[in-house]
Amino acid sequence: MRAAARHPQLRRHRKFSLPPSKALPLAVAAVAALAAGIWGALQWQARAPAAATLQSGVVLAQPRPIAEFALLDQDGKPFTREQLRGRWTVLFAGFTHCPDVCPTTLGLMKALTQRLAQPAPAMVFLSVDPERDTQDALAAYVRHFGAAIQGVTGPREELDRLCASLGIAYLKIPGATEGDYTVDHSAALVLIDPQARVAGYFPPPHKLDTLAADLSEIAGT
Amino acid sequence: MRINWPAAVLALGLSAPAGACPGLEVEEPWIREAPPGAMMTAAYARLRNAGDRLLRIDGGFAANFASAELHRSIVENGISRMVHGEPLELLPGATGALAPGSWHLMLLRPSRPLKAGEQVAVALKCGRQAKEFVFTVKAAQE
Repeated sequence: MRAAARHPQLRRHRKFSLPPSKALPLAVAAVAALAAGIWGALQWQARAPAAATLQSGVVLAQPRPIAEFALLDQDGKPFTREQLRGRWTVLFAGFTHCPDVCPTTLGLMKALTQRLAQPAPAMVFLSVDPERDTQDALAAYVRHFGAAIQGVTGPREELDRLCASLGIAYLKIPGATEGDYTVDHSAALVLIDPQARVAGYFPPPHKLDTLAADLSEIAGT
Repeated sequence: MRINWPAAVLALGLSAPAGACPGLEVEEPWIREAPPGAMMTAAYARLRNAGDRLLRIDGGFAANFASAELHRSIVENGISRMVHGEPLELLPGATGALAPGSWHLMLLRPSRPLKAGEQVAVALKCGRQAKEFVFTVKAAQE
């Protein structure tokens, strides 16, 4: 390809252009560099489709599979990895003896489902305090926040397996009186993709507007 | 000695002592309507010290609740925790807040479920004094 001969601008400034023997390798190099740049950008986009515009959290470059687990929801129905397939899920781990952060976050999750186009991601409240959060207690608690939030808990071993997969930590902290305790727990919302993999995290402070915008973009609702 | 604050307040007729927590003012005081059966909830308000002395709020008590404690929710290394035993200090002229995800008055063991719209007397304690305000129960959204 004779770039100088074909390009009107180069022809006009012919005296400044390189002889064809040197222009050709340079043009090839430029095209190759451009192509490499575009290819790189596409690769980056393919790995992290929403990271560029996410305002409230992080999307994992490589979604992380969740190990099998067997828990129950507030109605006593099985809640396993199968229940995570085929839909996006937003999960929050907490406990009902929690006066501030948990009800605040569940209120936010309720508002999110109302804000997002349907079908909105499934909203799951994972209780890490199964001793106190019996099925009945959990049912009364989540129903207070509307039908959209599912309460889930179960045996400690199964709970711990799921928490490990999700990257969730919790710790019982003894209270002032005998038998009383509180639970420190991960504060982030966990985003799970329709292949039952951890797709990302939304750390606090949680803002309804930015979360809704991010979820609309990622989860395509 | 453990002071039974509600009883102490009643005994002293502390509803309007001129000197209690001088200058402490609240705005938009509210209590989160708790899910049925919940053993606890929280009280929130914007605070202001209109007085000329440092105020150290270190607790409180509330009608219809067995006890109340001043707590602060914090996030540390991604973990949500509760800090207690730390007073909320307001310099003269300063504002502060009891707000979701931050400082709050944790209210424990309600005598009965409280519904949105109900009003509850809540006293904020500054050392050995307490000042009472009327808080409104709200179904919190956001």
